[in-house]
Formats: sequence, structure tokens, C-alpha cells
Amino acid sequence: MGGACSRKRDQLENEDGLHRGVSGRYCKSGSSKWLATTFSRPVVEIQREKGKGPSLMELCTYKIREDINNYGSFSMLPRDLSQQIFNELVNSQCLTEVSLEAFRDCALQDLYLGDYPGVNNNWMDVISSQGSSLLSLDLSSSDVTDSGLIYLKDCDHLQALNLNYCDQISNRGLQHISGLSNLTSLSFRRNNVITAQGMSAFSGLVNLSKLDLEKCPGIHGGLVHIKGLTKLESLNIKWCNSITDVDMKSLSGLTNLKSLQISCSKVTDFGITYLKGLQKLSILNLEGCPITASCLDSLSVLASLSYLNLSRCNFSDDGCEKFSKLGNLKVLNLGFNDISDSSLIHLKGLTNLESLNLDSCRIGDDGLVHLSDLQRLKCLELSDTEVGSNGLRHLSGLVNLESLNLSFTGVTDGGLRKLSGLSSLKSLNLDARQITDAGLSALTSLTGLTHLDLFGARITDAGTNYLRNFKNLRSLEICGGGLTDTGVKNIKDLSSLSLLNLSQNCNLTDKALEMISGLTGLVSLNVSNSRITSAGLRHLKPLKNLRSLNMESCKVTANDIKKLQSSHLHHLVNFRPE
Amino acid sequence: MKKVDTVKLISAEGMEFVIDKEAAMVSQTIRNMLTSPGGFAEAEHGEVTFPEISAVILEKICQYFYWSLQYSRGKETEFHIEPELTLELMMAANYLHT
Repeated sequence: MGGACSRKRDQLENEDGLHRGVSGRYCKSGSSKWLATTFSRPVVEIQREKGKGPSLMELCTYKIREDINNYGSFSMLPRDLSQQIFNELVNSQCLTEVSLEAFRDCALQDLYLGDYPGVNNNWMDVISSQGSSLLSLDLSSSDVTDSGLIYLKDCDHLQALNLNYCDQISNRGLQHISGLSNLTSLSFRRNNVITAQGMSAFSGLVNLSKLDLEKCPGIHGGLVHIKGLTKLESLNIKWCNSITDVDMKSLSGLTNLKSLQISCSKVTDFGITYLKGLQKLSILNLEGCPITASCLDSLSVLASLSYLNLSRCNFSDDGCEKFSKLGNLKVLNLGFNDISDSSLIHLKGLTNLESLNLDSCRIGDDGLVHLSDLQRLKCLELSDTEVGSNGLRHLSGLVNLESLNLSFTGVTDGGLRKLSGLSSLKSLNLDARQITDAGLSALTSLTGLTHLDLFGARITDAGTNYLRNFKNLRSLEICGGGLTDTGVKNIKDLSSLSLLNLSQNCNLTDKALEMISGLTGLVSLNVSNSRITSAGLRHLKPLKNLRSLNMESCKVTANDIKKLQSSHLHHLVNFRPE
Repeated sequence: MKKVDTVKLISAEGMEFVIDKEAAMVSQTIRNMLTSPGGFAEAEHGEVTFPEISAVILEKICQYFYWSLQYSRGKETEFHIEPELTLELMMAANYLHT
């Protein structure tokens, strides 16, 4: 059979998450929201045309997974086939130290073992046997130690290495990888023991384009060692609370830097002045830094700056007139600052803005008038503000709006009518207890909706009738307690759904699961705090794409779910109870 | 079966399998060969030879084609694969883009 086909490698998703239109969801005011898990490895979603069965390739892959202990070696297979088998074993958590042996000398290119249980130094021999074929390796959260990294000397073409959350790696480990000069991407998140001295190992990594040292408390003074890495385009030192102004000096010559994240460090307005020469800087994250609006003077000379995160910087209205100088901004996050409606007037001229976050700012209906000309706005976060139904009239002209978050505001059912013309809306968050079925009825024209969050809204079965128009819905959350099995009838035909959260609807029974069984696109399902029992689990057998399942506080045990996982749902990797 | 609706798939040993065109087109590779304008010889004669696929494997592949058609018509059954065939079958499936 022909040699390896040149199939395009699945590159890892950019984890910065900076370009999401919809912000991540977190626990707010006691409501037990369940943070949807993000996956760092390529998700093998079984996308098929409706009705079409699995491909022969898939069937063979699953068969090999079942019989994995009978295979001594895959080294005779073309590389992309052994890669596919490897990925499937990892996705279904079937790979062991023993079966790993079959992948020795397979010339694999990408080994994504992030968060995979049991990965330790014993795995490194087979891993390194991929030799110069190995291009990317993810060992995050593993038990690999410094001496395990010695093996990587054989992988001289390694481009991307992820050692996030590896508690056993120290400065010594960094020395062992100091010769991997083909590295373009290196990541060591949350490492408590690496220090400035250890970072001297990075000075030879001349091809480094992306460096991630988020949550490393010991690296103050270490940035001097990367002064010469002029190809660096992305640097993440978020939550490195030892980083101060003097560390910024080391970055002043890195003129290829496009993305810089220094949130929650000790950098002040003075440290920001060192960044003035970074003319390619496009993304700057200063969340939680002890800065003031004075730093906007330095930032206004950055011609390429288009994304700026200033959330939680304790900004007041003082100095906010300087915002008007940042005319190139596309994304601006001012969440959790003490700014009021009077500051919003300075944003009026920022007509390139596509995304604006005013979460928990002291703004209200009057301030929104200043936003009404921001025609390019696609994403607007107004959660936890004094905005109410009155203010929404200023938004009805924002025809390009795709994502709107009105959770925990004063918006009422009546106000929602003003949104009915926003036909571009894809994502809408109406998590507010005063929203009811009547509000939902005003939104039926928004047929483009893909994400609808009605978490704490008081939606009842009657309200679900209005959901039937939303044929493109991919994500739906209704957790106000008002749904029964009857309401699920209107949800069961929303065939595009991949996330469904109906937790805290305590009257849901196994009949609801029976109806959900047709939603074969579901990746994440939450029916916790309901009357569902383990007898209902059999209805989930067709949900082959399911990766996350929450049945906390139901009459279901972890063992019941494990049985379902091993018999039918091989990709179910997160479940509760566990 | 009418001749125009069938194709002939020939294994490495020369064994011939005559199957419905519709079944054969489950394979993207075969589909391309048979529908491409500008002349694969296969398109003219309705015959495709696979010098690298053995008869046992080719037979299994034909079984898969029909199984796949059935599946898409709603008859969802299991497709059994003998363990000793799996690797060779996977390589052939890869080549045939199916």
C-alpha cells in the first residue's frame, strides 16, 4: 500500500482564547454553573452526513482499539494510520504503558497526551523513538520528571512542547531541552520551581515563536535570557506575580512580539513605557495589573494594537478621555472597573470596535447611547450592570451584533422586543430571574441563534414552544427549575445541539432522556438535580459524541455511568458523579 | 444486474468482483475514477484493478460498501471485521478513501 499520505496535520487550537466572541462562563452568585470543559487535544468529532454510517477507516480503528492487546507493532503501517489509531486510543482512554509499545518507531508526528492518566518516565522511551519525525508533544499534567526529558534529545525536529502542570520538572529539566533549537512553541504553565536561572536554558532556542510561562511565580529576572529571541511573537506570563517593571525592560527589543499577556503581575504605568517600541504588538492583556489610565499614553503609540484587556485594573473615570486615542482597537475589555456612564462617551469614536466588555462596570441605560454608533460591534458584554429594558433601544441599530450578554441586568421581558431586529445574533445570554416565557416569545425571529443561555430565567414548559424556531441552536441552558418532561418535547428536535444543560429541573424523569436520545450531536449533557435514574442511562447509548455527562444528585452512581462508558460511549471522559 | 449499473473490481490475484456502481461509489477514490472527465481508462471500461489489494480484502471491502448503503437507508447493523484482516483492511480503506 502506498506510503504515508500527506494529510494535513491537526494543529492544536490556540489556547489563548482571546478571540472568542462569547466569554467563558464562571460561577456567579451561588448558581451552580458547570464550566464546560475545553479540550486541548484535537476532538475527534464523529461528523457524518445525516444517516450515513461510520467509514471503514473508523470501523477498523475501533476494532483495533478493542483488540489492542493483540498488536505488537504498528511500525509497518503508514504514519497517518498509526497516528489515527494512537489518537483514538487516547480519546477513549484505552492507551496503556503496555500497548504504547506498539507505537515504537512509528515515526509519529504528534503525540497529544495532555491530561492523560499514568504518563510517566516509562513512556519516554517509546515517545522518543519517533525520533526526528516527532514534531509536537503534549505531556501536560504528567508525572514525567527532569530525567525523563533527557530522552527528547533524540527528537531534534521537535517544534512544539507542552509541559504545563508538570510538577516534577525543575530547572534541571529545562537544561535537558536547551538544545532543541527547532522549537517554535514551548509551554510550562504553573511551574512553582523554575527560576530565572533555569530560564538561561531558553537562550539557545532561537526559533522560539511562542512561550507560555503562565503562573510561574519564580521567574522574576529571567526574561533577560529571552532578550535575544527575536522571533518571539507570543509571550504569556499571566499570573506571574513576581514580574515587575524592570522585567519589561528585557522585552523592549522583541520587535516581532504580536501578543503579550502580563495580567496579574506587578507591572505599573512605568513598566508599560518599555513597550512603546513594539510596533507589531496586536494583543495586550493587562488584566489585574496595578496600572491607571495614564498608561494609555504609552499604548496610543502602538500602531498595531487591536486587542486590549484592562479588566480588573481598578480604573476610575479619571483619565478615561485617553481612550479616544486608541482608534485602531477592535477588542476592548473594561470589565470589573469602577467606570461609569461618563467614561463611555470617550469610546464613541472607537468605530473599529468589534468586541466590548463592560461586565460589572458602574454603567446603565444612559451610557449605552454612546455605543449606538459602534456599527462594527459584534460582541457586547453588559453582565451585572444597571442596564435595563430602556437602554436596549440604543442597541437596536447594532445590526452586526452576534453576541450579547445581558445576564444579571435589569432587562425585563418587555425590553427584549427591542432585540428582535438583531438578525445577526448568534449568542444570547439572558440569565436573569426576571426573564420569563413572555420574553422568549419576543425572540422567535432570531433564527440564527446558536447559543442561548437562560440559566436562571424562569422558563416553563410553555416557553419551550418558542425554542422550536431556533433550528441552528448548538448550546442551550435552562436551569430555572420550571421544566418537566413535557418541555423537553420541544427540545428533542433541535438536532444541532452539542451542549444541553437542564440541571436543577427537578421534575425531569427518565422520559426526558428518552427524548434526548435523538440528539446524537451532543458532546455535553447536564441533567443533574433531577429525578433521572440509572434506568434512564440506556437512552444515552446512541450519543456517540458525548464527552461530558453530569448526573450529580440523581439516582445514578458512578459505576452505572462507567458501565455505559465502556459498553457504548467510548469518548465519555468527564462524568459526574465520578 | 444491468451491465451499465455495475463495475468490476479486480484484485491483485486477478479475481474479479462485479458490484453495483452505487456500492462502489461509497469509495471516494473509485467515485473519482469513474466520474472524472478527461479519462481514467476505468471510466470507459467500468473496470478498476487494484494490484495491491488481495482478494480476501477486496471481498471484505465490497461487503462494507453494501453495508454502508444499507446503513444509510436506515438498517443499522454491526459490521463484523475478522481480527486477522483489520490492519490490511485499514490500509486498503485508507487508499480507497472509505
